[in-house]
Amino acid sequence: MPILQLLSDIPVTGSTTDYAPIALQLFFAIGFIATMLIASGLIGPKRKTADKLENFASGIPSHGDARQPIAIKYFLVAILFVLFDVEVIFFYPYAVNFKGLGWTGFVEVILFTSFFIIGFIYIIKRGALNWEE
Amino acid sequence: MNALILSAVWGIILMFCSILVKNKKAIGYIAAFGLLTILIGNIAETYGTQITHYNIYPMLLLDRFGLFFNTIAILSVFIFVLLSLIEIRKTGKYEPEFYTLIFFVICGITILTSYQNLLMLFLGIEILSIPLYILTGSDKKNLKSNEASLKYFLMGAFSTGIMLLGIALIYGGTGTFNLQPGTHSVVGTYHGISFLEITGLIILMCAMAFKASVAPFHFWAPDVYDGAPTPVTSFMATIVKVTAFLAFFKLCEVRVTDTLTAVNWKMIFAVMIVATLFIGNITAIFQQSVKRMLAYSSIAQAGFMMYAIFSLNDVAKEGLLYYAMAYSLATIGLFATMSKIKDYSFEGYNGLAKKQPTLAATNAIFLLSLSGIPLTAGFFAKYYMLASVIKTGSYTWLVIVGVCFATISIYYYFRLIQAMYFKTGNPDTIDHEITPFFKNMLIVVAVFIVLLGAFPQLLLNWFYF
Repeated sequence: MPILQLLSDIPVTGSTTDYAPIALQLFFAIGFIATMLIASGLIGPKRKTADKLENFASGIPSHGDARQPIAIKYFLVAILFVLFDVEVIFFYPYAVNFKGLGWTGFVEVILFTSFFIIGFIYIIKRGALNWEE
Repeated sequence: MNALILSAVWGIILMFCSILVKNKKAIGYIAAFGLLTILIGNIAETYGTQITHYNIYPMLLLDRFGLFFNTIAILSVFIFVLLSLIEIRKTGKYEPEFYTLIFFVICGITILTSYQNLLMLFLGIEILSIPLYILTGSDKKNLKSNEASLKYFLMGAFSTGIMLLGIALIYGGTGTFNLQPGTHSVVGTYHGISFLEITGLIILMCAMAFKASVAPFHFWAPDVYDGAPTPVTSFMATIVKVTAFLAFFKLCEVRVTDTLTAVNWKMIFAVMIVATLFIGNITAIFQQSVKRMLAYSSIAQAGFMMYAIFSLNDVAKEGLLYYAMAYSLATIGLFATMSKIKDYSFEGYNGLAKKQPTLAATNAIFLLSLSGIPLTAGFFAKYYMLASVIKTGSYTWLVIVGVCFATISIYYYFRLIQAMYFKTGNPDTIDHEITPFFKNMLIVVAVFIVLLGAFPQLLLNWFYF
C-alpha cells in the first residue's frame, strides 16, 4: 500500500505539507470522476431513444411548466417548519452535556426555550399558520 | 450588556405590540420610549451600573470606546425614529415589525462594538444585516424596493460566505478565534506570520469593506440605497455603516498591527481610500436624483472614514467617534427632509427656501457639515481624520488627495443649496406631514451640529470622563 504509506509518513508539523493529503484527495476525486465519465462514454452501449431525453421526474411523465406561481402559504409553512426543526437540534448537544453543564446550563436552556415559545406564540397570534384566510 | 439585553427585550415587546396594541399611532412612541431606556441603560453601564454580572469575557469585552460608540449609535437611532415617525407608519403594512427589526439591529451593534472573538464578529454582522435585508424590502408593493432587497440579500449572503472563509483561514493560521492572536507557528510562515493568516485577513477585510461599502466593494450600495424606502436608506447609510466601520477598526487595530511585518497594509488601505473617494465623489457629481447623490456621497464619506483604519492611532479613534456623530446626524436630517418632498430630483428642491424656510435652512447646515465647512461638525470630523494620517508620519500625499476630494464634494452639496435658495420653483412638499414637532427636531439637530463644530471637545471630553 504505497499511497497509504506515503500519507502516514508525513509528520504533523503545522506547515503546508500537512495539507498534502487534502490535495491528493482532491486530485483523486477529480481524476476518478473524469475517468469514469470518459470511460462510460467510450465503452458503454449507445442506444438513443426519445424517452431517455426526457427530464427525470421520479418515473412519472413530466407535464406542465415548473415556473408557475405557488401560493405563499406553502413557503411560509415550510420555512417555519425548517426554523423550528433546526432550533430543536440545539437540544442534542445539551442532552449530551446535561450533567456537565449543571444548573447554569439548565437556566440557559430554559431561557432559550422561552424565547422559542415566544416566537411560536407570535406566529400563531399573527395568523401565519392560518390556512383558510 | 445592558444595551444588548434591553434591545432584545424591546424587540420582542414591539413584536407583540402588533397583536396587543390597537392604537396605531402609539407604536412609534412606544419604540421611542424603548430607545430612551436603552440609551439610559447604556449610559448607566458606562458609569458602572449593570443589570446582570454575567461573565462574557472571552467573547465580548465592554470597554469605554465601545460603550461610548453605543451611546452615539443609540442616540442617532433615537433621533432617526423621532424624525421619521410618519414615514415608518407609511412604509409597508407592518409598522411594529419595522421597529422590532431596528431593535434587533441595535443588538447587532452592541455585539460589534464589544467583540473579542471572530465568531462574535460574524454573529454581530449577521444580526446587523439580516434585519436590513427585510427592512430594505419592507415596502412590499414597490418593485424597486423588492429588487433592492433581493440584490442586497444575494450580495450580502455572498460576502458573509467570504467572511466565514476568511475567519476559517485565520483559525488555520493562528489556531484561535480570539481577536488577540495566539502564538504564531514557526514553520510555513512569511516574515514570521503564517501565510494562512495573511490570506484569511485579506479575505475577511474584503467582506468588511463590503459591509462598509468601501471601493472596490461598493457596487451594491447605490442601487440598494436608491431602491430602499427612504427611512431605511437613512438608517442603513448612517448608523449601520458607521458600526461596520467601528467593527472594521477594532479588527484592524489588533490584527493589522500584528501582521505589519509581513504585509504592507498601509499601501492596500491607501489604494482603497483613493479609489473610494474617487468613485464616490466623481459619480455623485453626475447624479440627477438627490437620493442617489446621497448614496454616492455616503460612499465618499466612507472613504474619509477609511482614514481612521489607515492610521489606527488615538487621533483616529477619537476621530471615528466624532465622524460617526457628525455624519449620522447630518445624513439623517437630509433623508428625513427628503421624504417630505415628492420629487427626489434636484429640480424638486427648486425654491424650497420660499415655501419651507425652516427645512431649507436646516438642510443647508446639514449639507455644509457634510462638505466640511468650518463651524459645522463635519469640518472637525474631516480634520481629525486627516490629522490622524499626519500623525503617522508617512503617506502625507494621502492628506492632499483627501483635501482635493473634499473640495470636489462641495460642488454637488452646494448644488442642492443652490437649488433651494437661488432657483425659483414650487416644490411638491407633503405639507400636512411637516408638523411643528418635525421642524423643531430638525432645528435641534442643526443646532447640535453647529455646537459640535464650534466646540468639538464637548463630545470627546465626555468620552474621557
